[in-house]
Amino acid sequence: MLNPIQVLCSDITSLSLEPEPFASYTEADIISTVEFSHTGELLATGDKGGRVVIFQREPECKTEPYSQGEYNVYSTFQSHEPEFDYLKSLEIEEKINKIRWLPQQNAAHFLLSTNDKTVKLWKVSERDKRPEGYNLKDEEGRMKDLSTVTSLQVPVLKPMDLMVEVSPRRVFANAHTYHVNSISINSDHETYMSADDLRINLWHLGITDRSFNIVDIKPVNMEDLTEVITAAEFHPHHCNLLVYSSSKGTLRLCDMREAALCDKHSKLFEEPEDPSNRSFFSEIISSVSDVKFSHSGRYLLTRDYLTAKVWDLNMENKPLEIYQVHDYLRSKLCSLYENDCIFDKFECAWNGSDSVIMTGAYNNFFRMFDRNTNRDVTLEASRESSKPRAVLKPRRVCQGGKRRKDDISVDSLDFTKKILHTAWHPTENIIAIAATNNLYIFQDKLNQEMHG
Amino acid sequence: MEYKVEAHRIMSISLGKIYNSRVQRGGIKLHKNLLVSLVLRSARQVYLRDYYGGICLSAQQAREWCEGEYMDSEQDKLVPGSTESLPESDGQSEVAVDKGEPINVVESPASLDVESQASGEQEHAENVILDSGCSDLKTTEESPEASATCEVSNVVTTISSNCISDPSPSNPKEATETPTDCQTDDSESVEENSHKPKVPRAYTNRKRSADDSELKDPLPKRTKVISPLLISKNDENKGETEEMDTSNVSSLITIFGSSFSGLLSSEDGAQPDSEVEDSDSGQICCDQMLKNLNPWSTAIVAF
Repeated sequence: MLNPIQVLCSDITSLSLEPEPFASYTEADIISTVEFSHTGELLATGDKGGRVVIFQREPECKTEPYSQGEYNVYSTFQSHEPEFDYLKSLEIEEKINKIRWLPQQNAAHFLLSTNDKTVKLWKVSERDKRPEGYNLKDEEGRMKDLSTVTSLQVPVLKPMDLMVEVSPRRVFANAHTYHVNSISINSDHETYMSADDLRINLWHLGITDRSFNIVDIKPVNMEDLTEVITAAEFHPHHCNLLVYSSSKGTLRLCDMREAALCDKHSKLFEEPEDPSNRSFFSEIISSVSDVKFSHSGRYLLTRDYLTAKVWDLNMENKPLEIYQVHDYLRSKLCSLYENDCIFDKFECAWNGSDSVIMTGAYNNFFRMFDRNTNRDVTLEASRESSKPRAVLKPRRVCQGGKRRKDDISVDSLDFTKKILHTAWHPTENIIAIAATNNLYIFQDKLNQEMHG
Repeated sequence: MEYKVEAHRIMSISLGKIYNSRVQRGGIKLHKNLLVSLVLRSARQVYLRDYYGGICLSAQQAREWCEGEYMDSEQDKLVPGSTESLPESDGQSEVAVDKGEPINVVESPASLDVESQASGEQEHAENVILDSGCSDLKTTEESPEASATCEVSNVVTTISSNCISDPSPSNPKEATETPTDCQTDDSESVEENSHKPKVPRAYTNRKRSADDSELKDPLPKRTKVISPLLISKNDENKGETEEMDTSNVSSLITIFGSSFSGLLSSEDGAQPDSEVEDSDSGQICCDQMLKNLNPWSTAIVAF
């Protein structure tokens, strides 16, 4: 995986019609979530404007081996609209917080998308045939004059240009008082959970007017509030297990078989704080921004502000591995607090074989860590490096001392360019990187033969 | 000294963030505000710890500074106050009641007591003592003395760390009992101290007595909301963490008053209609605090 990565499909600007290098974008164009489907054939992105864009991978062409695997726009639709809660006098943002694909069971694809308050189930289906030969309607759909109808015919299905239809099938609303931060589909493919700051609800995909509350950490007196839920996920294989992370840096594994209300955890994963690193901002940087089960279900990957940690489900007292993502920011926490960057929530991802983990950083950098060889690489998602079939060059941030050519100093990092959302293809070495309003898709060409 | 400046700056930034979060689109983000309030609490702790170190040193060196710098009348008040305070440190009620006497009378026993606690015991008690000590600063009318003491404390904050590290000779048991009484008696001003820096209060007093009497008005309203909460929490002897969080959030409540309780209750569903007009009072309060910061930072530079 740490071989140079070639760019097959360079930056797909998700919404602007003419992707000029310095074109300004609106805030609505900022990508807020990225997710591959279970086969990797489809890739969905959500943005702050409430839109979802789905990309589809072109089928491989045997005659031209290098043109295979490109992702093109498949469908675009408006998932959520801005709403106003009149009771609380609050505006509800339309920003898509998370998208999760359902495993495919028939020709159609289903995905869940959520904003701060409402989860929606969308059906994405193709239509490539249409009926022709109606008795009462003509080709344009106008009613025929009955006197001209002399014989009856059976309408037949004729091929047409491919049309992708997206329709909302379920709307799961009014179940969350606080902002929804995560959704996760259970391995039983029938239920899913939605988590907000203080509660986690369990839904059935077919039932919209009811949900079960399975975790509630709201204190009786809100003044006693000390932590909130930051992310939650179901175990990939065990339908009774779920994990949720907190702002205090702890992970809680809950077993739904133990009790109806899983406030009491089965396992608590917590690393004791290092007293030498204590500062004003220790609590903020220990807050977990993302948690992901490994594909095997054995490990957990968590991301806090400065590190990514791999936990073994069988070991609760400390993480298995700790990876420093950008430790050079530790001395700059105060300025990062001032400009609000310290509150950025970075996501993390596993590769298909759970051997490499990936997460984003600033200056449009993203990092990959190989767990087996302990090597890591820093790459940049930028227009300059995204020419088709260009190889990404490893970058380096120098923290004083010897500075090599092309190194970037910590002070010249652009903190407005942050990579918060990344996704890894479930089986192949294809990654999707969201850099503000641009989506970059990179592929590892050299390993193509090995992984197939 | 540097920590105090830094802590102060972080406190003001945090308050600004909390205020701005109320006007952000999408409603108040609970997670971010919780983190900001934790930072505010940490900064406040550091600030108060440094301040108290300065206070105890100033009490010891007050005589040297006062001789030849201040009027005899002030000297008469200070000197007997400091000598009388030592035997009185054993008494609980006397410390609290002595509001008529100069500040140092209350401060010196309290500061000595705090020394033992600053070395690492209940932070909660420390905060309470500081609140009580400073409330006397606030309520007394002897503002020149207050300013004098505070100026002295400004000077000696550089060696405050030495003060904190010294082992305290005073009885720790009495020290822990004292704050409760101080807290009970000085409850009306406690919450003001919890969100304002202690040292600039001298300047605050002078400024206030000069022109800003009207700005005082919004604050007493909020104090009444909070004081019963603080008292009840202390009396119930809850865990240290819970008290810290309570006082922390309570301090935020004092800044924004009813509109902040809207911050909490809005999460549950009820938004007070007064939020719009309270935002102005929130702004006033923020500005007020920030105004008070400037003369203090000027004082730091001067000394």
